[in-house]
Amino acid sequence: MPKLKRDLTMEQQLARGPLDLPFLMLVVMLTVIGVIMVFSASYATAAHEGKSPMNYFYRQAIFAAAGIVIMYVVSKMNYQHFRWLSVIALGIGFLLLIAVLIPGIHTNRSDGVKRWIKGPGPIPDFQPSEVMKLAVILYFSARMSKRTSEKKRRYDIRIVTGRIFKALDDWGFMELVPYGLILLAIIVLMYFEPHMSGTILILIPAAAILYAGGVKLRWFAIGGGTVVALLTLIITQTTYMANRIHIWQDPWSDPGDKGFQIIQSLYAIGSGGLFGVGFGQGRQKQLFLPEAENDFIFSNVCEELGFIGAALILALFVLLIIRGYWIALHARDRFGALLVVGVTTLMAVQVFLNISVVTNFLPTTGVSLPFFSYGGTALMIQLVEMGIVLSVSRQVPAPKQG
Amino acid sequence: MAYRDRGEPSRPAQTDRGANRVVLMRTLVLLGLFGLLTFIPLFGRLYAIQIRDHNFYQDKAIEQQTRDNAVAANRGKITASNGTVLAMSGTVYDVILSPKDFEAVQENWDKVFKNSEGRVLTEKKNYYPRPEAADVAAGLGAILGLDPEKVLDRLGKNSKYEVLSSRVEREVAEELWQFIRDNHLSNSVYTTPTSKRYYPYGSLASQVIGWVNWKNDNKGAYGMEALYEEDLAGETGRVVTAKNGDGKEMKFSFQDYYDAFDGNDLNLTIDNHIQYFCERILEKGIEMFDVQNGGFVIAMDPKTGAIKAWANSPTYDLNDPWAVTDPVMAQYLETVRNDPAAAEGAYGTALEESQNRQWRNKAMNDSYEPGSTFKSMVLAAALEEGVINENSTYYCPGYYVVGESRISCSKKDGHGSQTLAQAVANSCNPAFMMIGQALGAEKFYNYLEDFGFLEQTGIDMQGEGTSIVWKRNIFTAPSTQQNTYLATASFGQGFQATPIQLITAASAVINGGHLMQPYVMESITDAEGNILKQNEPTEVRQVISEETSRRCRTILEGVVDGGTGKRAYVPGYRIGGKTGSSETVESRRGEDRTIVSFLGFAPADDPQIVVLLAYDAPKPVSHGSNFTEDGYYISGGNMAALMAGELMDSILDYMDVEKSYTEAEQAMIDVTVPNLVGQTGQIGQEAAQNAGFTVRTVGEGETVTAQIPAGGAVIPSGSQIVLYLGQEKPADLVTVPDTRGRTAGEAKDLLAQHGLYLKVSGDSRYMSSSAVVASQSINVGTEVERGTVVTCMFADNTMVD
Repeated sequence: MPKLKRDLTMEQQLARGPLDLPFLMLVVMLTVIGVIMVFSASYATAAHEGKSPMNYFYRQAIFAAAGIVIMYVVSKMNYQHFRWLSVIALGIGFLLLIAVLIPGIHTNRSDGVKRWIKGPGPIPDFQPSEVMKLAVILYFSARMSKRTSEKKRRYDIRIVTGRIFKALDDWGFMELVPYGLILLAIIVLMYFEPHMSGTILILIPAAAILYAGGVKLRWFAIGGGTVVALLTLIITQTTYMANRIHIWQDPWSDPGDKGFQIIQSLYAIGSGGLFGVGFGQGRQKQLFLPEAENDFIFSNVCEELGFIGAALILALFVLLIIRGYWIALHARDRFGALLVVGVTTLMAVQVFLNISVVTNFLPTTGVSLPFFSYGGTALMIQLVEMGIVLSVSRQVPAPKQG
Repeated sequence: MAYRDRGEPSRPAQTDRGANRVVLMRTLVLLGLFGLLTFIPLFGRLYAIQIRDHNFYQDKAIEQQTRDNAVAANRGKITASNGTVLAMSGTVYDVILSPKDFEAVQENWDKVFKNSEGRVLTEKKNYYPRPEAADVAAGLGAILGLDPEKVLDRLGKNSKYEVLSSRVEREVAEELWQFIRDNHLSNSVYTTPTSKRYYPYGSLASQVIGWVNWKNDNKGAYGMEALYEEDLAGETGRVVTAKNGDGKEMKFSFQDYYDAFDGNDLNLTIDNHIQYFCERILEKGIEMFDVQNGGFVIAMDPKTGAIKAWANSPTYDLNDPWAVTDPVMAQYLETVRNDPAAAEGAYGTALEESQNRQWRNKAMNDSYEPGSTFKSMVLAAALEEGVINENSTYYCPGYYVVGESRISCSKKDGHGSQTLAQAVANSCNPAFMMIGQALGAEKFYNYLEDFGFLEQTGIDMQGEGTSIVWKRNIFTAPSTQQNTYLATASFGQGFQATPIQLITAASAVINGGHLMQPYVMESITDAEGNILKQNEPTEVRQVISEETSRRCRTILEGVVDGGTGKRAYVPGYRIGGKTGSSETVESRRGEDRTIVSFLGFAPADDPQIVVLLAYDAPKPVSHGSNFTEDGYYISGGNMAALMAGELMDSILDYMDVEKSYTEAEQAMIDVTVPNLVGQTGQIGQEAAQNAGFTVRTVGEGETVTAQIPAGGAVIPSGSQIVLYLGQEKPADLVTVPDTRGRTAGEAKDLLAQHGLYLKVSGDSRYMSSSAVVASQSINVGTEVERGTVVTCMFADNTMVD
């Protein structure tokens, strides 16, 4: 522990603690490798689009550099401030989610999907759902951490509604209502985009925070059961999902169209073998594999760096996630712990979903790979999230001596 | 949460601690779940795809990432002995359509020439109308001769590779390329080059040359093309190029060459002129004699065994080997096609049969009973063994008794007493049975073996057939039955040999006794003309002595000089030979199938060419008749020899063999009358006499003012020419007399009396007393100008072989 100075409050002193070096190293390594892989995966696409082959790489590198600076700045902040900032973040999140639905604000896409807000001037386009992911994590952690200190609400048990509320409260339902309403609003708003994968990426970390925060397990059983039932219904009742499942099980049933991307991805991964074809030598990115620099960048990684390279990178992610949870376990308070649980879970889910999709372990859904997939704002927000984790890590107390 | 409770003193410590413990425990659960459990299957997936199924995916990926362009090796040429190209290769194109790329072409157009509101920007630079499927289908249909509807259908398919047209010629491809450029179709329609074999002479020597099957990778399917496939084909090269998802080649990134090696040229011993003569004569005979099963002609250099020509009928065009063009087979197919009672698929089967028949080289694949042509070998063997000589005589009563069977001669009332030469000239079966007896079964069989009738000749052709001959112990066992074998074998019946065996053996008889191995490949040369392989004449063994061979030639010349082969006689050439009319299995069953043949060679004193000519089954006018519809007696002498004479004339003339005439022949040689009008009388007279004519002058003038016959007319030498000096020739007409039934000399005199001239045609033995005029070119009683040439057709139907 650093030497305390008299003119600093204790919290100020705590915020000046050392950040978690292993976590920082992992983040920097993944960011650097990710940017380099963007170069490899994107130059063919860039050249094909008539841009400089370095185009994507430069942009991504600039955002990565800026992101790491911002991450450091965020890590220097006392994360206790995020308690009140979270309310503002949530408000901005909702504003953006509503705004993105307004014509003229979202980008025009041929498929009519409204996920992106046009960035004014030099600011790139960005997804409001990225902001919302962070906002939900911040707000839920802040609220959840105060769970035990919240004043017990009193119900008038003389009237029926009062008795019902009392019963529900005893069951642990009433405390869930605000979380539920927020998530419901998000689901509804994002349904109109539509953006299913984004919704999943908000829901799972939120659920993780609620879980870690101590919400009764029965609600997860009920929630999980509902989700499974709904999914079963959708899969069996709508052709859209049924088709997706069919393509997932047998991409070769439509190799030219719906199964094309996943087949190309498998070709890329499979071509890699043990040692890969070598950095920059991948051929599937030569306009075979769609989105090679984006959602499917990991396929390119597998092709060029082989099983060894891919497994190493996957291992780095796993280490990052484990270290994240380790920080959560050692956090100074519950807010810090829940904050890190949320961010780490988000990271874990994104990595898991992305790699599951490119390896056809799960049906295709549009989840990008943190630190790797091309996209400036996404990378910056990820680094901000990492900054938050590092900020929490600064206040991890040193192990007791002796 | 190692750091506890600080700064929150108001909270009950117990609850707080409990809450903290919950967070701790549950975070640990999450760590286990998201930090470990979920990632295990992902490592498993990566292992499965990258390691376990690596080869599968890699192969698939390489398949789509690379373009493996075969670099066709140029197939070598096949040339005739004089260098004339008989087979060569050229480039043709397959036309490929990629409907998916066509979609992309249209989408790209939309991107470039439409704004976001969907308005077409016609004012934009380089504007061109949108390529629409219907227009493109119509255009492609017109160029490639396809139904535009069908093209449109295929344009709508969800594919990247549709073969629109196969093997279009360069002119069509060029038109197509222009169309692709004009309509900005880029890579949605393209061509891939492939090789096509051209046979400039169509059906010439088709069974020898054979053809390449483009349906089977352009590999040789028949004949020399198949036999010398390895030499001709060369080695296909490859260019493997990486390409991107748009199909663009990325030469800088990956390219691998495997050089193509061109095939070598195959030079045949076949002389395309002689080949042409043979095919022409084969077809002519088939038409004249109403031949049902086709036939064959082989022409060979007797000294070396080099095949000079090899014709089969039915035949076909090498450029379209599947088409059946032979009139007899085409008619048969037509019948099957139109037969309502025919079973389903009958036409297909019939077509296949016909194709196989025309592709067959029957002069080598099949065997037949050689008949009397085989007597040449019996004669040679007997002379060699000394069991007969030129002074031997044979009496033929019309039959010969072997054991209990009585085998009759072709001349039922017998040839009477004959010398050896006469017996051969008459092709007398009883005489030859006696010769066979004199030789004995053991020695006979030795010669059968020595002349190569028990083994294949080893000719470098595909599918040489084998002979069907008795086993030695059966042939030589002393019993009545075996005597019959020897007896029939003596005149070439009862066993089967392939035509190539027969002509090879016959060559040995006349070339000084050397059994040569026949061959068709003269040499194989590379593109620069360096000889890589060469066939040298190979002597298998000496069968008879030079002396015996010389004696055989003399006797066989007698066959043409007044014997059964006299129709093969050509004035000026010394031709020897042997006729044959083979019985067949079918004819012994009572069906109408005789194979008439002639084995001929020339010049008789120093043979340079030997031919074997056969017609299979001339159609009798009625069942069992000996005559065809056109009145030809069905025999080798009347049919094959007649054709062989004409053939020999062409071949020997082409080979520049000098003609030498006897005195009698000299008088009847056709000579062209020189044009003497305008010359002085003196000079004109001398010129006419030098040309071999007698001259009569009329009038007293200085110069020739007219002549009979006119210059350019072809009349026998020794005829009289009338020159008019200073006066016109008489304009009166003369009446054509009846020359029919007269001999050549009589006809010539009769016509001369009327101021007319004779030109002989038909039987070349017109000098003999038995050949008489059968018909004349100008009808009896017709009024014609003085000096007109009357062509008289001579015939001699007194012979049988």
